[in-house]
Amino acid sequence: MSDLLNNAEDECFRAELRDFVANELHSETRNKVSQGAPLEREDFVRWHRSLYEKGWVAPAWPVEFGGPGWSARKRLIADEEMFRLHTPPLPGFGLKMIGPILMRFGSEAQRARFLPRILSGEDWWCQGFSEPGAGSDLASLRMRADRCDGGWKLSGSKIWTTYAQFANWIFCLVRTDPEAKKQGGISMVLVDMSSDGVSCRPIRLMDGTEEVNEIFLEDVFVSDDMVVGEVNMGWNYAKTLLEHERLGIGGIGRSKHLLQRVRDVADATGRTNDPAIIAELAVFEIDVIAIEAFTLRLLAAAEAGERIGAEASLLKVRGTEIQQGLTELMLDVAGPAMLPERESPCAEEPFENIAYQFLNWRKLSIYGGSNEIQRGILASQVLGL
Amino acid sequence: MIRFDIPSEEARLLRETAERFIVDRYTLEQRRKILVDQSLMAKNWLAMAELGWLAAPLPESLGGLGIQPMQITGLLEVLGAGLVLEPLSAVMQCAVTLARALPEEKAIDRLNPILSGARIEVMAEGASGNPITARGDGETLDLAGMSPLVMGGSVASTFWVVVENDGVQALCPVPATAAKVEHYRLLDGQPVARVVFDGVTVRNADTITSAGAALRFGADLGCVAILAESAGVIDALYCATLDYVKLREQFGRPIGRFQVVQHRMADMFIAREEARSMMQLAAEAQDSEDESFRIRLISAARVKIADNARKVQRDAVQLHGGMGVTDELPVGHMVKRLLVLAQLGGNRQQHLERFNAAA
Repeated sequence: MSDLLNNAEDECFRAELRDFVANELHSETRNKVSQGAPLEREDFVRWHRSLYEKGWVAPAWPVEFGGPGWSARKRLIADEEMFRLHTPPLPGFGLKMIGPILMRFGSEAQRARFLPRILSGEDWWCQGFSEPGAGSDLASLRMRADRCDGGWKLSGSKIWTTYAQFANWIFCLVRTDPEAKKQGGISMVLVDMSSDGVSCRPIRLMDGTEEVNEIFLEDVFVSDDMVVGEVNMGWNYAKTLLEHERLGIGGIGRSKHLLQRVRDVADATGRTNDPAIIAELAVFEIDVIAIEAFTLRLLAAAEAGERIGAEASLLKVRGTEIQQGLTELMLDVAGPAMLPERESPCAEEPFENIAYQFLNWRKLSIYGGSNEIQRGILASQVLGL
Repeated sequence: MIRFDIPSEEARLLRETAERFIVDRYTLEQRRKILVDQSLMAKNWLAMAELGWLAAPLPESLGGLGIQPMQITGLLEVLGAGLVLEPLSAVMQCAVTLARALPEEKAIDRLNPILSGARIEVMAEGASGNPITARGDGETLDLAGMSPLVMGGSVASTFWVVVENDGVQALCPVPATAAKVEHYRLLDGQPVARVVFDGVTVRNADTITSAGAALRFGADLGCVAILAESAGVIDALYCATLDYVKLREQFGRPIGRFQVVQHRMADMFIAREEARSMMQLAAEAQDSEDESFRIRLISAARVKIADNARKVQRDAVQLHGGMGVTDELPVGHMVKRLLVLAQLGGNRQQHLERFNAAA
């Protein structure tokens, strides 16, 4: 489908991105992404390195920290184009989460030590927020941090930790003051995954992959210089993640990628001209345009120097609904061809990952603040209810 | 006029036996073992035959128990919810088709070993738009074509192949040893087969011609069985989610105390009731000798149950949160089973077309 950001300068930028991807993206990785197949560590690492060497790995970082200095508009275009060109979406735990937090709240020493290694990909970060008893109600988290000589001793567990098996660092929210009320008494600490007392259990998901984990910390020592900002202020720092790079959370690129996938599957089943499919696809395409239109309004506001607030939550809600809807449409278009188990000899492109993508992407409306939580944010913070 | 039978004593017993069967043999842990060691399926199969499940829908004159489809649906609901891997619905479909297609004496001979569990026989059809063809005159027929997906195909000893010969449908028995049988699994772990019939020769004398009505009747019974299994899985997802929202606490109370969750559970309840009602209606219609009435109601049920299964899949996972996407709870396995069931016996789109055509 055509792009709405398409003036001469935009087109020139798109061409630059396309050239780069054509030269740098490994074909094996591109095929996996285009087919919705699971990605491995090497797919991410290789692509991270290419982007790093080009200076594009952290689009939203200020130039002083190694960002490319792209405008919000360019970042939006890059987001979209990178999806369309089947590049692997890099996990954001370092680049989009702890990196920006350290820039704002970290010590000079923490920035100097960690930011360059996030950029280069030498460190792989994972996120220790959710706990078995603290999901949507994140502030009820209970990981203990007991004061000890020179630092803190951590005990407890974290869950849904994406790619912890590849990570060498984890940033955790922990309870440093058990007496304080809920959101108070929480601190953000940086933990070396190779510390004594850290262990990791992979959680097998219904699509057969093991991309998330449960992390156990038993009397793990972290020194005072690994606390981010002030003790007991961690909740406030975590909350700022809600404001970082919200323009892209509609996942326009991902939706366009899925629209194309559905068309490919329709071609493969000989249903390209099926009026029912054409009509359903058109409705989804219009849904995507609506998300784009809202994003462009936010972009205009951001370009005029306005702060983007909680209303961006609607992008997550609608974006994930569209994407999940498209994975469902893809099931219907494929029919029985998508039934064989992925590993079976009867599984064939472009059908082999369709059911698994449907299963895997149920998470989109659950993680990063479920859609129920996002609607709650809209109701309380935007509507004032 | 349709009437809903109160479950008979027989039906109640069948359901209870099935519930015990699942408790004894089909915990999630035991199911994982069966997935690894398929010889366990053979043991289960004999147990199913002994319990009379295979014989249940067949007339007593042919060695069956003569139980109406409606009274068997409870059994199938329980087995669906239990995620059993044995091809009960597929074999029922085949047995019912043979019972109608063969003259009585032949049928008794042929069905006896099937009902005792000694032999597994299933139907095999070509892909839609790609029928299996039969050519030849006189003594023999040469088959060409393949069935991409045969339920129970990995354990069957005979395939009843639906062939087209000059536009006329016929039914040919092919021993598994004569065809090329490629085993594989579906995404929910069920072992199935792709069967290639190229080069297979069958004797004309063994072929059943003018089996059209029997084939349609058997296919509809197979569809009803799949709908019953689907309704069972939908019910199990609803129940598991209801338990979970009562148990899981966030923000200081069970999440089931939040209105947004309550409304979703109410919608899931509606979806379950609609699915079960349509399934029972379809089972009643299966008994009707008015074919267009039967076709319309069974296809209507297929469409409705496909839509409601989709809703329940979505909401059951969502309300379970992260736990809902894991392999550790039954939820994920049930979601996968529904994905499979939605494509068997004709999918939503095919039945929507059939519903319209039968108007």
